[in-house]
Amino acid sequence: MTQVSEAPERVRPRGERSLRLARLVGAKIGGGLVSLFLVAVLGFLLFRVLPGDPARAMTRGAPVSAEQLAALRHRFGLDQPLWKQFLDFLVNLLHGDLGVSYTYSRPVAELIAERFWPTVLLTGTSTVIAVLLGLWMGTRAAWRHGGTFDRLSSSVALSLWSVPTFWLGLILLMALGVGVGPLPGLFPVSGMSAPDVPPGLLPRVLDTAHHLVLPCVTMVAVVYAQYLMVMRSSLLEEMGEDYLTTARAKGLREDLVRRRHAVPNALLPTVTLIFLHLGLVVAGAITVETVFSWPGLGLLTYEALRGPDLPLLQGTFIVLAGSVIVMNILADLLYHVLDPRVRGS
Amino acid sequence: MSPILRLRDTSVSYLRDGELVPAVRGVNLSLDAGETLGLAGESGCGKTTLAMSVLHLLPRSARLDGEVLLDGHDVRTLSWGELRAARWSSASVVFQGAMHALNPVRSIGAQIAEPMRLHEGKQSESRLRERIAELLEQVELPVRRVDAHPHELSGGQRQRVMIAMALACGPRLLIADEPTTALDVVVQSQILELLGRLVSERDIALMMISHDLSVLSSSCSELAVMYQGELVEQGPTDRVMADPGHEHSRALAAAFPTVGDSRFRFAPAGTRPSEEASSAEPGSALLAARGVSVNFGSGDGIHAVREVNLEVADNEILALVGQSGSGKTTLARTLLGLQRPSSGRVLFDGAELATSTRGLRRYRGQVQLVLQDPTGALNPRHTVYEAVAEGLRIHGATSDERDRVTEALEAAELRPAESFFARFPHELSGGQRQRVVIAGALVLRPSVLVADEPVASLDATVRGEILALLLRLRVERGLSTLVITHDLGLAWTIADRVAVMYQGHIVEEGEVEQVLLNPAHDYTRTLLAAVPSLREQPATER
Amino acid sequence: MSAPATPRAIAWSRRGATLAESWRVYRRDRGGLVGLALLVVIVALAVLAPVLTDGSGLNVTRVDAAPLQPPSASHWLGTDESGRSVLLLTWWGARMSLVIGLAAAALSVVIGTVVGVLAAHFGGWTSTLLMRFTDFFLVLPALVLAIALSTVLTRGLGTIVLAIGVTSWPQTARLVRAQTLTVETRPYIERAKALGGGHRHVIGKHVLPAVLPLVFATTTLTVASAIIAESTLSFLGLGDPSRVSWGAMLKSAMDTGAVTAGAWWYLLPPGLGIAIVVLSFTLCGRALETVFNPRLRGVGA
Repeated sequence: MTQVSEAPERVRPRGERSLRLARLVGAKIGGGLVSLFLVAVLGFLLFRVLPGDPARAMTRGAPVSAEQLAALRHRFGLDQPLWKQFLDFLVNLLHGDLGVSYTYSRPVAELIAERFWPTVLLTGTSTVIAVLLGLWMGTRAAWRHGGTFDRLSSSVALSLWSVPTFWLGLILLMALGVGVGPLPGLFPVSGMSAPDVPPGLLPRVLDTAHHLVLPCVTMVAVVYAQYLMVMRSSLLEEMGEDYLTTARAKGLREDLVRRRHAVPNALLPTVTLIFLHLGLVVAGAITVETVFSWPGLGLLTYEALRGPDLPLLQGTFIVLAGSVIVMNILADLLYHVLDPRVRGS
Repeated sequence: MSPILRLRDTSVSYLRDGELVPAVRGVNLSLDAGETLGLAGESGCGKTTLAMSVLHLLPRSARLDGEVLLDGHDVRTLSWGELRAARWSSASVVFQGAMHALNPVRSIGAQIAEPMRLHEGKQSESRLRERIAELLEQVELPVRRVDAHPHELSGGQRQRVMIAMALACGPRLLIADEPTTALDVVVQSQILELLGRLVSERDIALMMISHDLSVLSSSCSELAVMYQGELVEQGPTDRVMADPGHEHSRALAAAFPTVGDSRFRFAPAGTRPSEEASSAEPGSALLAARGVSVNFGSGDGIHAVREVNLEVADNEILALVGQSGSGKTTLARTLLGLQRPSSGRVLFDGAELATSTRGLRRYRGQVQLVLQDPTGALNPRHTVYEAVAEGLRIHGATSDERDRVTEALEAAELRPAESFFARFPHELSGGQRQRVVIAGALVLRPSVLVADEPVASLDATVRGEILALLLRLRVERGLSTLVITHDLGLAWTIADRVAVMYQGHIVEEGEVEQVLLNPAHDYTRTLLAAVPSLREQPATER
Repeated sequence: MSAPATPRAIAWSRRGATLAESWRVYRRDRGGLVGLALLVVIVALAVLAPVLTDGSGLNVTRVDAAPLQPPSASHWLGTDESGRSVLLLTWWGARMSLVIGLAAAALSVVIGTVVGVLAAHFGGWTSTLLMRFTDFFLVLPALVLAIALSTVLTRGLGTIVLAIGVTSWPQTARLVRAQTLTVETRPYIERAKALGGGHRHVIGKHVLPAVLPLVFATTTLTVASAIIAESTLSFLGLGDPSRVSWGAMLKSAMDTGAVTAGAWWYLLPPGLGIAIVVLSFTLCGRALETVFNPRLRGVGA
């Protein structure tokens, strides 16, 4: 009698598995490079093609002769065909040359480098706090869903989510920075350091932290709701699954059922969503930095759009969009390492 | 010694919209070590609820009354701690659908180890690994798969993992809830055999739950039949099968026909008009596949169908039998023109299938499809009338729409047709839904019907009715039908001819009596031996 | 129910019953009801603003009140830096938020639905390309792109709608695609194809009717985020300079030192206006989601 096998066995040797991983990492990075290229294309289109003649923009309506305009065009390569201009732009970009700011008369790359770390400090701190807070509250809300904590945390989150970031920032600035009525202001209202800080590392760190409180609270308040909602619904979905019944049947305590089975599984899809929402954090950074004059990329963007200083705006656009894309590639790879279901397929 | 499990007047009700809805009413049962009890019943009869009450795994909305004595202790009065200690160490469960019952992101080794760590206190990692290896060996899984995740295993392998997990803490009672439902017949018989062997080796009690009486009869010594929350019959398997006392038991038994038993053969060769039989020669076939192959993916992709020749003659029912993955559904889709063959030709009435959109549309008026799951096959937003009229509207035949819909519904035995017009699918029973799907196909007056597992998702008692309807359509309208099924019993019941498909090939084809009673190919024999059949089957020991 | 004459009439009367049932489910959501009530009131006030108030009070040259006055009997919510009534400004600002929110959401949802349905229905490389495109725009920070667009284009109502609309569609596209994919796996799609139905039939009769309710719920949620985006753009000075809007009010409050002067009456009303409108849309959207997505029913709070 023929032996009828139940299905071809899906065993993969270890070597093949690491090859697959390498191929996957390659594909993700390749895809990311395409995205970064698209950002460059978009940056070129938005700021070089859409606004019309950049030479006119540079003169900002000042009366200039046709010869002067032509000379200007020639100097900036604007008399070249479009594809040639794009190629030059791309080559410059790869060399880290983002052009020269109209308003500051300094290289855009230099300005961005100065403002990069303050933004990383602000968005990094607030993201970490918001993620921890959101995941913890989301887990609690889902586990006791329908309970007081769930209803309260969901409504608070929903209300905060409905508030524009910058308005919350203005309110906090007025209430805790300037002070209301007899109450004095508790926190500095602008910048990231006071002019009269005593020398030494510790005082400087404390001073920066003091300045960080209000912008950070503002960002956390608006962003954590996202994470709460995502974690809550992800866990609620997981809670209906059969394998939790299996876990209970095995005699696991409820809190172990939750800690060992439900929460880790619910966290996996949440990871991706956290990174997908990074764009929102960046959006928040622009307005929060504007409100609190935090010397980061957001404030730089605001200064650029007031000009409008197109090379500067182009620079911040490319850097902000590029960093979000890079973070997302990293998140995607992380997800593939964490989740065995996608790891295998 | 007291029995391992004793149920005394056990009842379970669910709280729904402020009302208690009874699911199980006053069940009395007792089970001793080494005993095997089969609990049979249709979906919704309360059998799973009853099983879950043994470990008190019911949802919060459930109320449990009466006594459930597990090892002499009433689970209702145990504290949570005592109950948790009893779970898995006194009684464990093999759940239905192992894909969902296993945690998708933990390795199977870790999941098998979990209850051992929990119930047996500290033990060395190496000892634990040894025992997991032992368990995997017992369920005939390669030990090196211990780090695999559920999605990397086949359905049968996952079910083996569930069994290994259930045996991990040496329980005295094993509850198996539809352990083989989603599996192929061959795998099903392997799992049942494994389960039976392990249970008898360890002298533990087994309570097996299934809607399929033949599965239970081949593996349990006692049978209990449940109907609307009550036990309507209980006794030794032999007695219940040979002489069912309750009419529901009789209906259940009849729904799983025995191959070779002439009582179950609805379509003896004689019913076919003889002049039609002669038209079944090659060439005059109504619908034919000639050397059809279907490959998925490029290059070394999957060869789902390989070089198949198949003919459906005028006025005949042909059963295409095979396991899932044998390529039978792909072949059916190809015959319907829903899938383009990689090579070979599909002929209808001697002419090759059109490739143009319009030509295909005309063809589809002639060959119609009936799907396995009538619940999914009907758009939940469309009324019965719209569902049946859909084909007419696509083909622009709307002038006498109402009359034709009425006629089709009545041909599918939904009478009076008008009373069904305004209903939505969710207001119909499973059998009625399948009749609506059939009516939706009939309304185009096709000459061939392709039915893909037409009764597989229906309750046992409704199956016979739908099969009888297909048969009547052939007799009364001369409608040819290609029935695709994994169930040899179904082929025996209604088909004139049968074709057996295995790994993309048709390995055997011929008259039903010839193929099923004197199988020529090894694979057909394997299939026949694997059918968990009643006593007449020589393959089983009983 | 009296016996209707034609089957089509039956079908429609049954659909009416379904609608009534949906309303019954919606009514159970208290948040949804509150949101709906608030929206009705706000929309009515916004539409009737020219009738109920005197629009000339918005013109800086026509006012004679002192600047930055706290609330008083004549100016219930005080005055702004040029002496205009904050109440009047807030009232008229609602019109701008609603118009832009609705228009931008409509644009965004139309793009998203078309991309989503096409990507799911046709599959193959069309789908791959569309989804890559969608994913690219999904991770791209929408506000940054919107800022860029509204900087380089001429300021105006149309520009803001465009800037928000073309940057916020990817979520809808993903959602619609996912929903379409689930619908397409249903056997009734296979049945429709076997009956001879082409792409138009499958999309028109089966996919769209199944997807649209969810799209409707999403639109409501998109309006909420579009209003936030509008206020943010206006706050950054990218709005239509000729019209009153809540974001622009907050911008002048910041620029003219009203915040540091503690002029809370100037700061609170426009912000609360945004928050209330956004919250109402969000509440309605979530309630609609529960109605149209039975999977959420009973699970969601």
